[in-house]
Amino acid sequence: MLLHRRIYQFFIIYLLAVGFLFLVKYGMGLSDYVIPSPGDIWQTGSEEFVRYFSDVLNTMTVAIVGQIISIILALLVGITGRQATWFGSFIKVAAYNVQAYPIVAIAPIIFILLGDGVISRLIIAAMICYFPLLLSVIGIMSEPVADIEHFYRVTGRMRWQLEVKIRAFENMSKLTTVVAGSATLAMAGTIVAEFIAANAGIGYSIRIALFQSDLAKIIIALFIIGITLSVYQGLLEVSGYMIKKGWASK
Amino acid sequence: MRDKRLSKFACTALIAVFSILQLSPASSPEANAAEQVSYRLKWLFNMSVAGDIYADVHRYFQKQGLTVTIKEGGPERDAIRELELGRAQFGVASADQVIRALSKGADVVVIAQLFQINPLQWMYRPDYLEIQNLGDLKGKTLGVTFGGNDEHILRTLLAKAGLAENDVTLFSVRYDYTPFFQKKVNFWPVYRNSQAVFLGGKLREAGESYAFFNPVDYGVQFVANSVVTSRQLLEKKPDTVNRFTVALLRGWQAAMDPANSDKTIRAVQNYDKDSSLSTLVEQLEITRSLVHPLPAVPVGTIDVPAWKQTEQILLDQKQIPAAVGVEKHLISVPKY
Repeated sequence: MLLHRRIYQFFIIYLLAVGFLFLVKYGMGLSDYVIPSPGDIWQTGSEEFVRYFSDVLNTMTVAIVGQIISIILALLVGITGRQATWFGSFIKVAAYNVQAYPIVAIAPIIFILLGDGVISRLIIAAMICYFPLLLSVIGIMSEPVADIEHFYRVTGRMRWQLEVKIRAFENMSKLTTVVAGSATLAMAGTIVAEFIAANAGIGYSIRIALFQSDLAKIIIALFIIGITLSVYQGLLEVSGYMIKKGWASK
Repeated sequence: MRDKRLSKFACTALIAVFSILQLSPASSPEANAAEQVSYRLKWLFNMSVAGDIYADVHRYFQKQGLTVTIKEGGPERDAIRELELGRAQFGVASADQVIRALSKGADVVVIAQLFQINPLQWMYRPDYLEIQNLGDLKGKTLGVTFGGNDEHILRTLLAKAGLAENDVTLFSVRYDYTPFFQKKVNFWPVYRNSQAVFLGGKLREAGESYAFFNPVDYGVQFVANSVVTSRQLLEKKPDTVNRFTVALLRGWQAAMDPANSDKTIRAVQNYDKDSSLSTLVEQLEITRSLVHPLPAVPVGTIDVPAWKQTEQILLDQKQIPAAVGVEKHLISVPKY
Protein backbone atom coordinates (compact mmCIF):
# COMPACT_ATOMS: atom_id res chain seq x y z
CA MET A 1 0.00 0.00 0.00
CA LEU A 2 2.76 2.41 1.04
CA LEU A 3 4.96 1.21 -1.82
CA HIS A 4 2.19 1.60 -4.33
CA ARG A 5 1.49 5.15 -3.11
CA ARG A 6 5.18 6.11 -3.28
CA ILE A 7 5.43 4.98 -6.91
CA TYR A 8 2.37 6.71 -8.25
CA GLN A 9 3.21 9.88 -6.33
CA PHE A 10 6.62 9.86 -7.97
CA PHE A 11 5.03 9.43 -11.40
CA ILE A 12 2.76 12.42 -10.77
CA ILE A 13 5.71 14.63 -9.72
CA TYR A 14 7.93 13.50 -12.59
CA LEU A 15 5.25 13.95 -15.22
CA LEU A 16 4.34 17.38 -13.86
CA ALA A 17 8.00 18.46 -13.98
CA VAL A 18 8.56 17.13 -17.51
CA GLY A 19 5.22 18.60 -18.59
CA PHE A 20 6.35 21.99 -17.27
CA LEU A 21 9.58 21.70 -19.27
CA PHE A 22 7.62 20.97 -22.45
CA LEU A 23 5.34 23.90 -21.72
CA VAL A 24 8.37 26.19 -21.48
CA LYS A 25 9.95 24.60 -24.57
CA TYR A 26 6.96 24.97 -26.86
CA GLY A 27 5.75 28.21 -25.26
CA MET A 28 9.10 29.89 -25.91
CA GLY A 29 9.91 28.02 -29.12
CA LEU A 30 13.17 26.60 -27.75
CA SER A 31 15.32 24.15 -29.68
CA ASP A 32 15.97 20.54 -28.67
CA TYR A 33 19.39 21.67 -27.47
CA VAL A 34 17.87 23.73 -24.66
CA ILE A 35 15.03 21.35 -23.79
CA PRO A 36 14.81 18.01 -25.61
CA SER A 37 11.62 17.03 -27.40
CA PRO A 38 9.45 14.11 -26.20
CA GLY A 39 10.72 12.06 -29.16
CA ASP A 40 14.33 12.86 -28.25
CA ILE A 41 13.73 11.81 -24.63
CA TRP A 42 12.03 8.61 -25.73
CA GLN A 43 14.86 7.72 -28.10
CA THR A 44 17.52 8.48 -25.47
CA GLY A 45 15.54 6.44 -22.96
CA SER A 46 15.37 3.43 -25.23
CA GLU A 47 19.11 3.68 -25.98
CA GLU A 48 20.38 4.41 -22.48
CA PHE A 49 17.86 2.86 -20.08
CA VAL A 50 19.69 -0.41 -19.45
CA ARG A 51 23.09 1.26 -18.96
CA TYR A 52 21.68 4.01 -16.73
CA PHE A 53 19.60 1.53 -14.73
CA SER A 54 22.72 -0.49 -14.03
CA ASP A 55 24.52 2.75 -13.03
CA VAL A 56 21.65 3.65 -10.67
CA LEU A 57 21.78 0.19 -9.09
CA ASN A 58 25.52 0.63 -8.61
CA THR A 59 24.94 4.00 -6.93
CA MET A 60 22.01 2.65 -4.93
CA THR A 61 24.08 -0.24 -3.60
CA VAL A 62 26.73 2.17 -2.33
CA ALA A 63 24.02 4.45 -0.90
CA ILE A 64 22.29 1.58 0.92
CA VAL A 65 25.52 0.29 2.45
CA GLY A 66 26.41 3.87 3.43
CA GLN A 67 22.99 4.31 4.95
CA ILE A 68 23.19 1.06 6.92
CA ILE A 69 26.56 2.12 8.33
CA SER A 70 25.03 5.49 9.22
CA ILE A 71 22.01 3.92 10.91
CA ILE A 72 24.19 1.61 13.02
CA LEU A 73 26.54 4.47 13.95
CA ALA A 74 23.67 6.86 14.62
CA LEU A 75 21.95 4.30 16.86
CA LEU A 76 25.16 3.55 18.75
CA VAL A 77 26.10 7.18 19.26
CA GLY A 78 22.50 8.31 19.69
CA ILE A 79 21.83 5.77 22.43
CA THR A 80 25.10 6.64 24.16
CA GLY A 81 24.50 10.34 23.86
CA ARG A 82 20.78 10.28 24.69
CA GLN A 83 21.24 11.42 28.28
CA ALA A 84 21.66 15.08 29.16
CA THR A 85 25.31 14.56 29.93
CA TRP A 86 28.38 16.47 28.73
CA PHE A 87 29.04 13.72 26.16
CA GLY A 88 25.44 13.90 24.91
CA SER A 89 25.65 17.64 24.33
CA PHE A 90 29.15 17.28 22.78
CA ILE A 91 27.78 14.79 20.22
CA LYS A 92 24.99 17.19 19.27
CA VAL A 93 27.35 20.14 18.84
CA ALA A 94 29.79 18.04 16.79
CA ALA A 95 26.95 16.79 14.59
CA TYR A 96 25.69 20.31 13.89
CA ASN A 97 29.18 21.61 13.12
CA VAL A 98 30.31 18.82 10.85
CA GLN A 99 27.03 18.95 8.95
CA ALA A 100 27.72 22.62 8.22
CA TYR A 101 30.72 21.77 6.00
CA PRO A 102 29.70 21.47 2.35
CA ILE A 103 30.39 18.02 0.97
CA VAL A 104 31.78 19.51 -2.26
CA ALA A 105 34.64 20.91 -0.18
CA ILE A 106 35.25 17.72 1.79
CA ALA A 107 34.79 15.21 -1.04
CA PRO A 108 37.94 16.11 -3.02
CA ILE A 109 40.03 15.62 0.14
CA ILE A 110 38.47 12.19 0.68
CA PHE A 111 39.14 11.23 -2.92
CA ILE A 112 42.76 12.39 -2.72
CA LEU A 113 43.30 10.35 0.45
CA LEU A 114 41.32 7.25 -0.47
CA GLY A 115 41.27 7.23 -4.25
CA ASP A 116 38.24 7.21 -6.51
CA GLY A 117 36.90 3.77 -5.63
CA VAL A 118 33.90 2.51 -3.68
CA ILE A 119 35.26 3.40 -0.22
CA SER A 120 35.29 7.14 -0.96
CA ARG A 121 31.74 7.03 -2.32
CA LEU A 122 30.63 5.01 0.69
CA ILE A 123 32.14 7.43 3.18
CA ILE A 124 30.58 10.43 1.47
CA ALA A 125 27.17 8.75 1.32
CA ALA A 126 27.43 7.87 5.00
CA MET A 127 28.59 11.38 5.91
CA ILE A 128 25.67 13.00 4.13
CA CYS A 129 22.97 10.90 5.78
CA TYR A 130 24.65 10.18 9.11
CA PHE A 131 24.20 13.50 10.88
CA PRO A 132 20.49 14.09 10.22
CA LEU A 133 19.94 10.49 11.33
CA LEU A 134 22.02 11.00 14.44
CA LEU A 135 20.21 14.18 15.41
CA SER A 136 16.83 12.49 15.04
CA VAL A 137 17.94 9.41 16.98
CA ILE A 138 19.33 11.59 19.77
CA GLY A 139 16.10 13.61 19.77
CA ILE A 140 13.94 10.49 19.98
CA MET A 141 16.14 8.66 22.49
CA SER A 142 16.49 11.61 24.84
CA GLU A 143 12.72 12.15 25.04
CA PRO A 144 11.26 10.00 27.88
CA VAL A 145 7.92 8.24 27.36
CA ALA A 146 6.87 9.20 30.87
CA ASP A 147 3.64 7.12 31.18
CA ILE A 148 5.24 3.81 30.33
CA GLU A 149 8.75 4.38 31.71
CA HIS A 150 7.34 5.48 35.08
CA PHE A 151 5.85 2.01 35.69
CA TYR A 152 9.15 0.23 35.03
CA ARG A 153 11.09 2.75 37.09
CA VAL A 154 8.92 2.49 40.19
CA THR A 155 8.93 -1.31 39.96
CA GLY A 156 12.75 -1.26 39.58
CA ARG A 157 12.67 -3.18 36.31
CA MET A 158 14.00 -0.46 34.03
CA ARG A 159 17.18 -1.31 32.14
CA TRP A 160 18.77 0.76 29.39
CA GLN A 161 17.81 -1.80 26.73
CA LEU A 162 14.18 -1.55 27.79
CA GLU A 163 14.33 2.26 27.82
CA VAL A 164 15.69 2.29 24.27
CA LYS A 165 13.09 -0.24 23.13
CA ILE A 166 10.19 1.75 24.63
CA ARG A 167 11.34 5.00 23.09
CA ALA A 168 12.02 3.39 19.70
CA PHE A 169 8.63 1.64 19.67
CA GLU A 170 6.69 4.76 20.67
CA ASN A 171 8.47 6.78 17.95
CA MET A 172 8.61 4.08 15.28
CA SER A 173 6.73 6.11 12.65
CA LYS A 174 9.06 9.06 13.30
CA LEU A 175 12.12 6.79 13.04
CA THR A 176 10.83 5.17 9.85
CA THR A 177 10.26 8.58 8.28
CA VAL A 178 13.77 9.69 9.22
CA VAL A 179 15.36 6.48 7.91
CA ALA A 180 13.36 6.71 4.66
CA GLY A 181 14.29 10.38 4.33
CA SER A 182 17.94 9.62 4.95
CA ALA A 183 17.85 7.22 2.00
CA THR A 184 17.34 10.25 -0.24
CA LEU A 185 20.29 11.95 1.43
CA ALA A 186 22.49 8.87 1.06
CA MET A 187 21.58 8.63 -2.61
CA ALA A 188 22.17 12.35 -3.15
CA GLY A 189 25.50 12.12 -1.33
CA THR A 190 26.65 9.20 -3.44
CA ILE A 191 25.62 10.96 -6.65
CA VAL A 192 27.48 14.13 -5.62
CA ALA A 193 30.56 12.05 -4.79
CA GLU A 194 30.41 10.30 -8.17
CA PHE A 195 29.87 13.61 -9.92
CA ILE A 196 32.94 15.11 -8.28
CA ALA A 197 35.47 12.36 -8.58
CA ALA A 198 34.35 8.76 -8.93
CA ASN A 199 34.56 6.62 -12.03
CA ALA A 200 31.30 4.76 -11.74
CA GLY A 201 27.65 5.20 -10.88
CA ILE A 202 24.91 7.45 -12.16
CA GLY A 203 26.59 10.64 -10.86
CA TYR A 204 29.54 9.89 -13.14
CA SER A 205 27.21 9.30 -16.09
CA ILE A 206 25.35 12.55 -15.38
CA ARG A 207 28.67 14.38 -15.43
CA ILE A 208 29.50 12.95 -18.85
CA ALA A 209 26.02 13.85 -20.12
CA LEU A 210 26.57 17.41 -18.89
CA PHE A 211 29.90 17.55 -20.74
CA GLN A 212 27.97 16.54 -23.85
CA SER A 213 25.20 19.12 -23.13
CA ASP A 214 22.70 16.26 -23.36
CA LEU A 215 19.68 17.15 -21.25
CA ALA A 216 17.69 14.15 -22.54
CA LYS A 217 20.15 11.81 -20.82
CA ILE A 218 19.83 13.77 -17.60
CA ILE A 219 16.02 13.61 -17.71
CA ILE A 220 16.23 9.83 -18.17
CA ALA A 221 18.77 9.53 -15.36
CA LEU A 222 16.49 11.54 -13.05
CA PHE A 223 13.59 9.27 -13.89
CA ILE A 224 15.51 6.12 -13.02
CA ILE A 225 16.96 7.64 -9.85
CA GLY A 226 13.49 8.80 -8.78
CA ILE A 227 11.70 5.55 -9.41
CA THR A 228 14.43 3.44 -7.78
CA LEU A 229 14.52 5.68 -4.75
CA SER A 230 10.73 5.67 -4.45
CA VAL A 231 10.69 1.87 -4.44
CA TYR A 232 13.47 1.76 -1.84
CA GLN A 233 11.78 4.33 0.39
CA GLY A 234 8.48 2.51 0.05
CA LEU A 235 10.17 -0.74 1.09
CA LEU A 236 11.73 0.98 4.11
CA GLU A 237 8.33 2.30 5.17
CA VAL A 238 6.78 -1.13 4.75
CA SER A 239 9.63 -2.62 6.84
CA GLY A 240 9.03 -0.05 9.59
CA TYR A 241 5.34 -0.87 9.60
CA MET A 242 6.07 -4.62 9.78
CA ILE A 243 8.55 -4.18 12.64
CA LYS A 244 6.09 -2.11 14.62
CA LYS A 245 3.36 -4.68 13.98
CA GLY A 246 5.70 -7.49 15.02
CA TRP A 247 6.67 -5.76 18.28
CA ALA A 248 3.09 -4.90 19.10
CA SER A 249 1.99 -8.52 18.73
CA LYS A 250 4.65 -9.78 21.20
CA MET B 1 8.23 90.27 -4.77
CA ARG B 2 7.29 86.64 -4.01
CA ASP B 3 6.69 85.95 -7.74
CA LYS B 4 10.13 87.39 -8.54
CA ARG B 5 11.77 85.09 -5.99
CA LEU B 6 9.86 82.09 -7.38
CA SER B 7 10.85 82.77 -10.99
CA LYS B 8 14.47 83.33 -9.89
CA PHE B 9 14.40 79.96 -8.07
CA ALA B 10 12.82 78.25 -11.08
CA CYS B 11 15.49 79.69 -13.41
CA THR B 12 18.30 78.58 -11.09
CA ALA B 13 16.78 75.09 -10.80
CA LEU B 14 16.43 74.80 -14.58
CA ILE B 15 20.03 75.90 -15.12
CA ALA B 16 21.21 73.41 -12.48
CA VAL B 17 19.25 70.53 -14.04
CA PHE B 18 20.48 71.50 -17.49
CA SER B 19 24.11 71.65 -16.24
CA ILE B 20 23.80 68.24 -14.57
CA LEU B 21 22.41 66.76 -17.77
CA GLN B 22 25.25 68.31 -19.77
CA LEU B 23 27.90 67.01 -17.39
CA SER B 24 26.51 63.55 -16.81
CA PRO B 25 28.20 60.68 -18.68
CA ALA B 26 24.86 59.65 -20.11
CA SER B 27 24.83 62.76 -22.26
CA SER B 28 28.04 61.86 -24.11
CA PRO B 29 27.55 60.72 -27.72
CA GLU B 30 28.88 57.26 -26.87
CA ALA B 31 26.54 56.76 -23.95
CA ASN B 32 23.54 58.18 -25.80
CA ALA B 33 23.91 55.51 -28.40
CA ALA B 34 24.86 52.81 -25.87
CA GLU B 35 23.08 49.56 -26.48
CA GLN B 36 23.03 47.04 -23.65
CA VAL B 37 24.16 43.50 -24.39
CA SER B 38 25.29 40.55 -22.30
CA TYR B 39 28.27 38.38 -23.08
CA ARG B 40 28.54 34.98 -21.37
CA LEU B 41 32.06 33.60 -21.11
CA LYS B 42 32.88 29.92 -21.23
CA TRP B 43 35.01 29.82 -18.11
CA LEU B 44 36.04 31.77 -15.03
CA PHE B 45 37.92 35.05 -15.27
CA ASN B 46 41.56 34.23 -16.00
CA MET B 47 44.14 34.80 -18.70
CA SER B 48 42.08 32.73 -21.17
CA VAL B 49 39.64 35.65 -21.36
CA ALA B 50 42.30 38.38 -21.39
CA GLY B 51 41.01 39.98 -24.59
CA ASP B 52 37.43 40.08 -23.34
CA ILE B 53 38.54 41.79 -20.14
CA TYR B 54 40.84 44.14 -22.05
CA ALA B 55 38.05 45.22 -24.40
CA ASP B 56 35.89 46.01 -21.38
CA VAL B 57 38.50 47.76 -19.23
CA HIS B 58 39.84 49.85 -22.12
CA ARG B 59 36.34 50.86 -23.27
CA TYR B 60 36.48 49.25 -26.70
CA PHE B 61 32.81 48.33 -26.39
CA GLN B 62 31.80 51.85 -25.35
CA LYS B 63 33.66 53.25 -28.33
CA GLN B 64 31.39 51.10 -30.50
CA GLY B 65 28.30 52.39 -28.66
CA LEU B 66 27.78 49.24 -26.64
CA THR B 67 27.42 48.64 -22.93
CA VAL B 68 28.50 45.04 -22.45
CA THR B 69 27.90 43.05 -19.29
CA ILE B 70 30.54 40.33 -19.21
CA LYS B 71 29.32 37.33 -17.28
CA GLU B 72 31.75 34.80 -15.90
CA GLY B 73 31.33 31.25 -17.19
CA GLY B 74 31.75 27.94 -15.44
CA PRO B 75 31.13 24.23 -15.84
CA GLU B 76 27.38 24.61 -15.38
CA ARG B 77 27.05 27.56 -17.79
CA ASP B 78 26.09 27.14 -21.39
CA ALA B 79 26.25 30.27 -23.52
CA ILE B 80 24.22 28.77 -26.38
CA ARG B 81 21.31 27.96 -24.07
CA GLU B 82 21.50 31.49 -22.69
CA LEU B 83 21.33 32.94 -26.21
CA GLU B 84 18.11 31.04 -26.86
CA LEU B 85 16.63 31.99 -23.52
CA GLY B 86 17.47 35.64 -24.18
CA ARG B 87 19.72 35.94 -21.14
CA ALA B 88 22.75 36.79 -23.26
CA GLN B 89 23.22 38.17 -26.76
CA PHE B 90 26.78 36.91 -27.21
CA GLY B 91 28.74 34.09 -25.68
CA VAL B 92 31.75 31.85 -25.84
CA ALA B 93 31.26 28.18 -26.63
CA SER B 94 33.52 25.32 -27.56
CA ALA B 95 33.30 23.97 -31.10
CA ASP B 96 31.76 20.68 -30.01
CA GLN B 97 29.07 22.60 -28.09
CA VAL B 98 28.28 24.61 -31.23
CA ILE B 99 28.08 21.52 -33.43
CA ARG B 100 25.97 19.57 -30.93
CA ALA B 101 23.64 22.57 -30.61
CA LEU B 102 23.32 22.86 -34.39
CA SER B 103 22.50 19.18 -34.64
CA LYS B 104 19.64 19.77 -32.18
CA GLY B 105 18.23 22.69 -34.12
CA ALA B 106 19.76 25.60 -32.20
CA ASP B 107 19.91 28.89 -34.08
CA VAL B 108 23.54 29.77 -33.49
CA VAL B 109 26.33 31.30 -35.57
CA VAL B 110 30.05 31.64 -34.94
CA ILE B 111 31.34 35.19 -35.30
CA ALA B 112 34.98 34.75 -34.26
CA GLN B 113 37.37 32.02 -33.26
CA LEU B 114 39.40 33.06 -30.23
CA PHE B 115 41.99 30.29 -30.15
CA GLN B 116 43.78 29.41 -33.39
CA ILE B 117 45.48 26.53 -31.55
CA ASN B 118 43.49 24.47 -29.09
CA PRO B 119 44.96 24.99 -25.59
CA LEU B 120 43.88 21.47 -24.69
CA GLN B 121 47.04 19.38 -24.96
CA TRP B 122 48.70 16.57 -23.03
CA MET B 123 51.53 17.07 -20.59
CA TYR B 124 54.03 14.25 -20.25
CA ARG B 125 57.48 13.46 -18.89
CA PRO B 126 59.89 12.72 -21.74
CA ASP B 127 62.09 10.78 -19.29
CA TYR B 128 59.31 8.23 -18.88
CA LEU B 129 57.48 8.48 -22.18
CA GLU B 130 59.09 8.97 -25.54
CA ILE B 131 56.69 9.97 -28.30
CA GLN B 132 58.12 10.00 -31.81
CA ASN B 133 54.93 8.91 -33.50
CA LEU B 134 51.37 8.00 -32.49
CA GLY B 135 52.24 4.32 -32.35
CA ASP B 136 54.40 5.07 -29.30
CA LEU B 137 51.17 5.49 -27.29
CA LYS B 138 50.60 1.73 -27.47
CA GLY B 139 50.61 0.04 -24.08
CA LYS B 140 50.71 3.34 -22.21
CA THR B 141 48.36 4.72 -19.57
CA LEU B 142 46.74 7.82 -21.03
CA GLY B 143 44.81 10.39 -19.02
CA VAL B 144 41.44 11.36 -20.43
CA THR B 145 38.37 13.24 -19.22
CA PHE B 146 35.54 10.95 -20.25
CA GLY B 147 32.88 12.97 -22.01
CA GLY B 148 35.24 15.92 -22.49
CA ASN B 149 36.83 17.26 -25.66
CA ASP B 150 40.05 15.45 -24.87
CA GLU B 151 38.24 12.12 -25.14
CA HIS B 152 37.17 12.94 -28.71
CA ILE B 153 40.66 14.11 -29.59
CA LEU B 154 42.37 11.11 -28.01
CA ARG B 155 40.05 8.61 -29.68
CA THR B 156 40.75 10.27 -33.04
CA LEU B 157 44.49 10.05 -32.38
CA LEU B 158 44.20 6.37 -31.45
CA ALA B 159 42.17 5.68 -34.57
CA LYS B 160 44.80 7.49 -36.67
CA ALA B 161 47.48 5.33 -35.07
CA GLY B 162 45.45 2.21 -35.76
CA LEU B 163 45.24 1.48 -32.03
CA ALA B 164 42.21 -0.08 -30.41
CA GLU B 165 41.02 0.94 -26.94
CA ASN B 166 42.49 -2.20 -25.42
CA ASP B 167 45.94 -1.31 -26.82
CA VAL B 168 46.17 1.46 -24.22
CA THR B 169 44.92 2.02 -20.68
CA LEU B 170 42.60 4.98 -20.41
CA PHE B 171 42.77 6.66 -17.02
CA SER B 172 39.82 8.82 -16.00
CA VAL B 173 41.10 12.28 -15.12
CA ARG B 174 39.38 14.57 -12.60
CA TYR B 175 40.43 17.56 -10.56
CA ASP B 176 43.05 15.66 -8.61
CA TYR B 177 46.53 15.71 -10.18
CA THR B 178 48.00 13.21 -7.69
CA PRO B 179 48.19 10.31 -10.19
CA PHE B 180 50.27 12.53 -12.49
CA PHE B 181 52.53 13.73 -9.69
CA GLN B 182 52.94 10.14 -8.49
CA LYS B 183 53.83 9.10 -12.07
CA LYS B 184 51.00 6.58 -12.12
CA VAL B 185 49.89 8.38 -15.28
CA ASN B 186 52.45 10.14 -17.43
CA PHE B 187 50.18 11.52 -20.13
CA TRP B 188 47.82 14.06 -18.65
CA PRO B 189 45.33 16.41 -20.41
CA VAL B 190 45.81 20.05 -19.49
CA TYR B 191 44.85 23.48 -20.67
CA ARG B 192 48.20 24.72 -21.87
CA ASN B 193 47.69 28.32 -20.77
CA SER B 194 46.12 27.70 -17.36
CA GLN B 195 46.58 24.37 -15.49
CA ALA B 196 49.80 23.55 -17.35
CA VAL B 197 51.45 26.66 -15.93
CA PHE B 198 50.77 25.53 -12.34
CA LEU B 199 51.70 21.92 -13.04
CA GLY B 200 54.82 22.92 -14.94
CA GLY B 201 55.88 25.12 -12.02
CA LYS B 202 55.56 22.20 -9.60
CA LEU B 203 57.50 19.86 -11.88
CA ARG B 204 60.26 22.45 -12.33
CA GLU B 205 60.44 22.82 -8.54
CA ALA B 206 60.84 19.05 -8.29
CA GLY B 207 63.58 19.17 -10.92
CA GLU B 208 61.56 17.16 -13.43
CA SER B 209 61.40 17.80 -17.15
CA TYR B 210 58.15 17.89 -19.07
CA ALA B 211 56.86 18.35 -22.58
CA PHE B 212 53.55 18.85 -24.35
CA PHE B 213 51.80 16.64 -26.82
CA ASN B 214 49.90 18.83 -29.28
CA PRO B 215 47.37 16.86 -31.38
CA VAL B 216 47.80 19.38 -34.24
CA ASP B 217 51.33 18.02 -34.73
CA TYR B 218 49.68 14.70 -35.61
CA GLY B 219 47.07 16.21 -37.90
CA VAL B 220 44.17 16.43 -35.47
CA GLN B 221 42.56 19.85 -35.29
CA PHE B 222 39.71 20.23 -32.85
CA VAL B 223 38.57 23.84 -32.53
CA ALA B 224 38.41 25.33 -29.04
CA ASN B 225 36.55 28.43 -27.84
CA SER B 226 34.72 30.68 -30.25
CA VAL B 227 32.37 33.63 -29.99
CA VAL B 228 28.76 32.90 -30.85
CA THR B 229 25.50 34.73 -31.25
CA SER B 230 22.06 33.81 -32.53
CA ARG B 231 21.26 33.93 -36.22
CA GLN B 232 18.14 35.86 -35.27
CA LEU B 233 20.22 38.67 -33.76
CA LEU B 234 22.60 38.60 -36.72
CA GLU B 235 19.71 39.04 -39.14
CA LYS B 236 17.78 41.59 -37.07
CA LYS B 237 20.70 43.66 -35.84
CA PRO B 238 23.73 43.00 -38.07
CA ASP B 239 25.20 46.35 -37.06
CA THR B 240 25.15 45.42 -33.35
CA VAL B 241 26.85 42.10 -34.09
CA ASN B 242 29.41 43.85 -36.26
CA ARG B 243 30.20 46.52 -33.64
CA PHE B 244 30.48 43.89 -30.91
CA THR B 245 32.82 41.73 -32.99
CA VAL B 246 34.99 44.70 -33.97
CA ALA B 247 35.27 45.90 -30.36
CA LEU B 248 35.99 42.43 -29.03
CA LEU B 249 38.62 41.59 -31.60
CA ARG B 250 40.30 44.98 -31.20
CA GLY B 251 40.41 44.18 -27.49
CA TRP B 252 41.95 40.77 -28.15
CA GLN B 253 44.39 42.19 -30.68
CA ALA B 254 45.57 44.83 -28.20
CA ALA B 255 45.68 42.37 -25.30
CA MET B 256 47.90 40.00 -27.26
CA ASP B 257 50.26 42.77 -28.42
CA PRO B 258 53.55 42.31 -26.53
CA ALA B 259 53.77 46.11 -26.22
CA ASN B 260 50.61 46.01 -24.04
CA SER B 261 51.68 43.13 -21.78
CA ASP B 262 51.66 45.24 -18.60
CA LYS B 263 48.26 46.70 -19.37
CA THR B 264 46.84 43.24 -20.12
CA ILE B 265 48.19 41.78 -16.90
CA ARG B 266 46.84 44.71 -14.88
CA ALA B 267 43.42 44.27 -16.49
CA VAL B 268 43.32 40.54 -15.75
CA GLN B 269 44.62 41.07 -12.21
CA ASN B 270 41.46 43.07 -11.44
CA TYR B 271 39.46 39.92 -11.97
CA ASP B 272 41.86 37.06 -11.21
CA LYS B 273 43.11 37.81 -7.70
CA ASP B 274 44.41 34.32 -7.00
CA SER B 275 47.15 34.04 -9.59
CA SER B 276 50.58 35.48 -8.88
CA LEU B 277 52.21 38.00 -11.19
CA SER B 278 54.75 35.46 -12.46
CA THR B 279 51.94 33.01 -13.25
CA LEU B 280 50.00 35.68 -15.15
CA VAL B 281 53.11 36.66 -17.13
CA GLU B 282 53.69 33.04 -18.15
CA GLN B 283 50.01 32.50 -18.91
CA LEU B 284 49.90 35.58 -21.12
CA GLU B 285 52.90 34.47 -23.12
CA ILE B 286 51.36 31.06 -23.77
CA THR B 287 47.90 32.50 -24.48
CA ARG B 288 49.47 34.80 -27.08
CA SER B 289 51.04 31.82 -28.85
CA LEU B 290 47.65 30.10 -29.01
CA VAL B 291 45.48 33.10 -29.95
CA HIS B 292 47.82 34.83 -32.36
CA PRO B 293 50.40 32.28 -33.48
CA LEU B 294 51.03 33.76 -36.93
CA PRO B 295 51.30 37.52 -37.52
CA ALA B 296 49.71 37.10 -40.94
CA VAL B 297 46.57 35.55 -39.48
CA PRO B 298 44.46 38.18 -37.70
CA VAL B 299 43.13 37.46 -34.22
CA GLY B 300 39.67 35.90 -34.39
CA THR B 301 40.08 34.30 -37.81
CA ILE B 302 37.76 31.34 -38.28
CA ASP B 303 39.68 28.28 -39.40
CA VAL B 304 37.05 26.65 -41.62
CA PRO B 305 38.98 23.40 -42.37
CA ALA B 306 39.56 22.91 -38.62
CA TRP B 307 35.82 23.35 -37.98
CA LYS B 308 35.02 20.80 -40.68
CA GLN B 309 37.47 18.36 -39.13
CA THR B 310 35.91 18.93 -35.70
CA GLU B 311 32.49 18.14 -37.15
CA GLN B 312 33.85 15.03 -38.84
CA ILE B 313 35.38 13.82 -35.55
CA LEU B 314 32.04 14.19 -33.75
CA LEU B 315 30.29 12.45 -36.63
CA ASP B 316 32.79 9.58 -36.68
CA GLN B 317 32.39 9.11 -32.94
CA LYS B 318 28.58 9.20 -33.25
CA GLN B 319 28.31 12.26 -31.06
CA ILE B 320 25.96 13.77 -33.64
CA PRO B 321 23.51 11.72 -35.69
CA ALA B 322 24.15 13.49 -39.02
CA ALA B 323 26.35 16.18 -40.56
CA VAL B 324 25.29 19.73 -39.76
CA GLY B 325 27.34 21.57 -42.39
CA VAL B 326 29.04 23.71 -39.80
CA GLU B 327 30.69 25.91 -42.44
CA LYS B 328 27.25 27.45 -43.17
CA HIS B 329 27.16 28.75 -39.62
CA LEU B 330 30.58 30.40 -39.61
CA ILE B 331 30.32 34.12 -40.27
CA SER B 332 33.17 36.04 -41.92
CA VAL B 333 35.02 38.10 -39.37
CA PRO B 334 34.75 41.85 -40.20
CA LYS B 335 37.85 43.95 -40.78
CA TYR B 336 38.81 45.66 -37.56
